[in-house]
Amino acid sequence: MEDLLTSDNQVINIILIAIGLLLLMAIAIVLFFYFSRKKIIKAELEKARLEIDHQKELLQATIITQEEERSRIAQDLHDAISSKLNVVSLNANFLTEKDITTDDANKFGESILNVTSTVLENSRRIAHDLLPPTLSKFGLEAALEELCDEVSESGKFEVRYEANYPMETLPSDEELHLFRVIQELMNNSIKYSEASQIDVALHKEDSVVRLAYMDNGKGFDINDAMNSKGLGMSGIKNRAAILKAELSMTSAPNEGIEVKIEKPLGSSA
Amino acid sequence: MSEHFKTIGDITVYVSLVLGLIYTVSFIRNNKAYRLFTIYLLLISIIQIAALYVGRGGLQKSNLYFSHYYYISQFVLLSLFYFELLKMRWIKFALIPVLLFIAYQFIADPEIYFRYNPLAMTITQTIIVFYSILYLYKTLQGKSEFVIVNVGILVYLISSTLIFASGNLVLDLDIPQETRFTLINVNRILTLIFQLLILIEWIKNYRPQFRRS
Repeated sequence: MEDLLTSDNQVINIILIAIGLLLLMAIAIVLFFYFSRKKIIKAELEKARLEIDHQKELLQATIITQEEERSRIAQDLHDAISSKLNVVSLNANFLTEKDITTDDANKFGESILNVTSTVLENSRRIAHDLLPPTLSKFGLEAALEELCDEVSESGKFEVRYEANYPMETLPSDEELHLFRVIQELMNNSIKYSEASQIDVALHKEDSVVRLAYMDNGKGFDINDAMNSKGLGMSGIKNRAAILKAELSMTSAPNEGIEVKIEKPLGSSA
Repeated sequence: MSEHFKTIGDITVYVSLVLGLIYTVSFIRNNKAYRLFTIYLLLISIIQIAALYVGRGGLQKSNLYFSHYYYISQFVLLSLFYFELLKMRWIKFALIPVLLFIAYQFIADPEIYFRYNPLAMTITQTIIVFYSILYLYKTLQGKSEFVIVNVGILVYLISSTLIFASGNLVLDLDIPQETRFTLINVNRILTLIFQLLILIEWIKNYRPQFRRS
């Protein structure tokens, strides 16, 4: 080993040093990739965790909506049907009594008739609110038209609707998502926007279905709405995601809201 | 001291055969890349045993010409091995010009057969090192096979390239035999580390599982 220090062996020394350096370089490369890989895996885990959190929130929101919907239906059934049927039952009870005059019988009969027709009307309305039969029978274009008519009948808004959408362009479940989005937007406009005019447009083009919604209300900060736990906006976002459609939403305080959904045809969700 | 290193050298020769044989155990159950690597191990061990026999055993002759079989078979088999791992078609096509160049060298100067061929060794090993870095990059994407062997190939080939490339130079120097062996001893230790990594890879990922889960 002492030989290595003499000048004759300079060449060997240099080669040994070079080998050492190459070895270090190789180890450095390996370590670099090893730590990079660790970092990447960590980032991916973090991403997956966020995704799971998001899913959980979504699930929670869904459950809350479901419960709210249930209690609303329960309330509707109670107010509009059960209480009225009580009246019917009471009147029918009077009818069964023996010493009842014809006049009274007619009066009770009339009352029963009135109440039952209200109950019928109410149950029709409840069913309609849950799932508009127009949508399944006549398609999205007609269902949206009906919705617009209903909203403009309230007299608060001027609703303009234009459509060019052949029936059954999209599968019925996808049409339902689009319908719910417009329904939600209208609800928001009615509740918060103080708008005077609403525009709805539904068009089928070569390979895309475009749905546009606009109001001239007081608008809001989009970022706040998207991040809030409120179900409305995130619901719209989720439906667009389910549809694999492009969603663009622009709004600012006092500038109304403009929502556009572009659903490419042939990419079924 | 030199006796110890000689023993290490002998050990690496036998270990290479053992590695080839234990990799053969799982030969059928594994993919093409595994099979190519097994063939590489077996071929290298046969070349090393033959070289040992010619150099020291029965014949006591110069065994330098075995180096040609060593680096050519290493280049061809590891290229195909990395082709299987990387799935890049040009790796196969890159074999042709390199082999043609080596063939040209032998035709131009047949004497080279009895000496080291530093240029061809450097070219072939550098290309394999390049593939191994590419594969290291690919392993970033997630779980992949032969990660440990790949590290071994990278570390061993980068450092041993210089040892082989300086072979002729060292042989021509006027220095004592003892000093000359320093390089060979370094190579023996590096080989042993490389073989250790190959063994770890087999134990961790390719050992036959007797327990049925």
